[in-house]
Amino acid sequence: MNITFPHLGNTYIAGKVLFEGLGVEYTIPPISTKKTLEIGCLHSPDDVCLPFKIMIGNYIESIEKGADTVLITGSCGPCRFGEYCELQKKVLMSLGRQINFIVIDEPSKIGIKEFLNRLSSVAKESKLSTYKKAKALNMALKAINLIDEIEKECRFYAGYEKNKGEFSKLLKEVKKEAIEAKGAEETLKVLEKYKEKVDRVEIDLFKTPIKIGIIGEIYTIIDSLSNLYIEDILMNLGVSTKRTLYPSWWVKNTALSALKINKSPIYKEAKQYLKMCIGGHAQECVGEAMLNYKMGFDGLIQIFPVGCMPEIVSKAILPDIEKKYNIPILSLVVDEMTGEAGYYTRVEAFLDLIEGRKKVCI
Amino acid sequence: MIIGIPNALLNIKYRDAIQEFLHTIGITTVVSPKTNKEILDLGVLNCVDEACLPVKIFHGHVEYLRDRCDIVLVPRIMKLHKNEFICPKFCGLPEMVKYTLDIKNIICPTITAYNEKTLKDSLYDFSKTFRVDKEKFKKAYNGFKSNIYKYNKINSSRSNLRVLLLGHPYLIYDDFINMGLIKKLNQYGVEVFTEDNIEPYDYTYRLIKKPFWTFLRNTYNCAISLVETGKIDGIIYISSFGCGIDSFSIDLIKKDVGSFPYLVLKIDEHTGEAGVDTRIEAFIDLLKRRAKYEYNISSLG
Ligand code: SF4
Ligand code: SF4
Repeated sequence: MNITFPHLGNTYIAGKVLFEGLGVEYTIPPISTKKTLEIGCLHSPDDVCLPFKIMIGNYIESIEKGADTVLITGSCGPCRFGEYCELQKKVLMSLGRQINFIVIDEPSKIGIKEFLNRLSSVAKESKLSTYKKAKALNMALKAINLIDEIEKECRFYAGYEKNKGEFSKLLKEVKKEAIEAKGAEETLKVLEKYKEKVDRVEIDLFKTPIKIGIIGEIYTIIDSLSNLYIEDILMNLGVSTKRTLYPSWWVKNTALSALKINKSPIYKEAKQYLKMCIGGHAQECVGEAMLNYKMGFDGLIQIFPVGCMPEIVSKAILPDIEKKYNIPILSLVVDEMTGEAGYYTRVEAFLDLIEGRKKVCI
Repeated sequence: MIIGIPNALLNIKYRDAIQEFLHTIGITTVVSPKTNKEILDLGVLNCVDEACLPVKIFHGHVEYLRDRCDIVLVPRIMKLHKNEFICPKFCGLPEMVKYTLDIKNIICPTITAYNEKTLKDSLYDFSKTFRVDKEKFKKAYNGFKSNIYKYNKINSSRSNLRVLLLGHPYLIYDDFINMGLIKKLNQYGVEVFTEDNIEPYDYTYRLIKKPFWTFLRNTYNCAISLVETGKIDGIIYISSFGCGIDSFSIDLIKKDVGSFPYLVLKIDEHTGEAGVDTRIEAFIDLLKRRAKYEYNISSLG
């Protein structure tokens, strides 16, 4: 068995730690590129949402490298993500290869026991004791928290750095070194080393950079290919960005929801607009918008794929927040046809607008 | 008080029942007319660009009603089957309407109705707004129940060309959106089946996971049941651009029925009638040719 999994931001680093800790063979899909997307589009139905297509591209590229088992997380919420596995399986089977699927669902929906059962079908392969397996899982969790923490800090403090480009350099280096490190423990060590490095970068707190919150559909805001590297671009322009929806957030949030003790402030803030979960992450999007406003951000960028059902609902709500609280919001809708030129022009115009407002305020 | 009922989305299916219910309680209702050009334009103009056509049209109906009644009914339909959902846009419909149309006079009962009890509870919660006593509610509820299946059923005469028409009820029963599709099919002498006049079997065991969308399960079961039992000669699937649920069911069915005649019509506000007509004609021709061919074979053998 050779396991593969789709890309979602930094999860591949945690995946590496987990499978190396378990001693299971695995393949990390090549970093998503335009080619990945092309392959994905070729094999997917036209109208499915962008994440589906990129994931198919990831799978196929991994399978070409020798993977034979696909790990996929489904959530049973009322959105397409939970329905993915069905059609993805059919798509991959039509390639004419023997591929196994392991579907990992949200524990709150299928019950803790079934969840552990499915997880153990992965762990069965590994010949380690249960204690060691638990340790591997623990290390993977630590890894995802660390790398997300590093990325978050780099992106937020990028606007405050004294020597331009330091954070962006560190961020590139840590990912490269982590993936080259041998073994789970080594990888963790690399991450810890970089965490300290990041903490020591000199910053100038008297600066007043533009601060932007990134909100929207979870996959597209995490996956840099689908949002056309928006965070990197903003970072290079010296803009501080913040986004809450990281893979580590998702892990924590689902775990807390399963135990029914989720008290994230996002939901409290979202309440006045959207009282219930309508699927996807519409509620988070609206709640985040409110939170970012309260924390004094200068603007918000909402990103979602064409045809994304829950985000269309939040897009309908956001103008009201924009008006009521006087915070500029830019909605970007992406798919495989999105042209770079027009996209960047819109982002630039948005930044100009914010800059203008800031000057007036002073 | 006058309540306005937008004649769109699932209201098309439950319109009569809702009206009966409200009348018994003692409330006057006004139903928006069948979708027309004016309503379509109102919807397209006001709704979020990325939304699907049916949702835009719903916005048009609400906009049409806003000055013609005291309060507009925008139901939030969460579930019609246990452990299944309708569509994220149905759950968030009141919010969409409220903030895009900037309208305050709407009433949005939450409907979760997967069995008798939950339906009753949802309606009871709804009726509480009007301070209705128990007796009256009971009568109104019975009125609702007896009218639930009264929406326009399709009668087409028997024929040896039989087509299954798939799609959401608000696409099938709205002649304006589907450009008179059913009438056209009848003119070609085709017998039309829809979800509502067949009894499908449950074929979901073929899937690795039980679908959690009611629409998806329904269409899948209908298509597979009729194809497996040889009751139809072709499938026409009418869908709107940008419908997330159809993007799945169309392909799930396609991958299962193989080379069976299957026509997918996707529509939005820019779709031209001529193009659709040509495609239907070509499809019917194909079915006729197939029928003849099969007939020849059997007479020889
Ligand atoms: S939230 Fe949007 S992108 Fe994600 S599965 Fe649903 S429709 Fe697709
Ligand atoms: S089911 Fe499809 S057509 Fe209906 S509201 Fe949802 S996305 Fe639109």
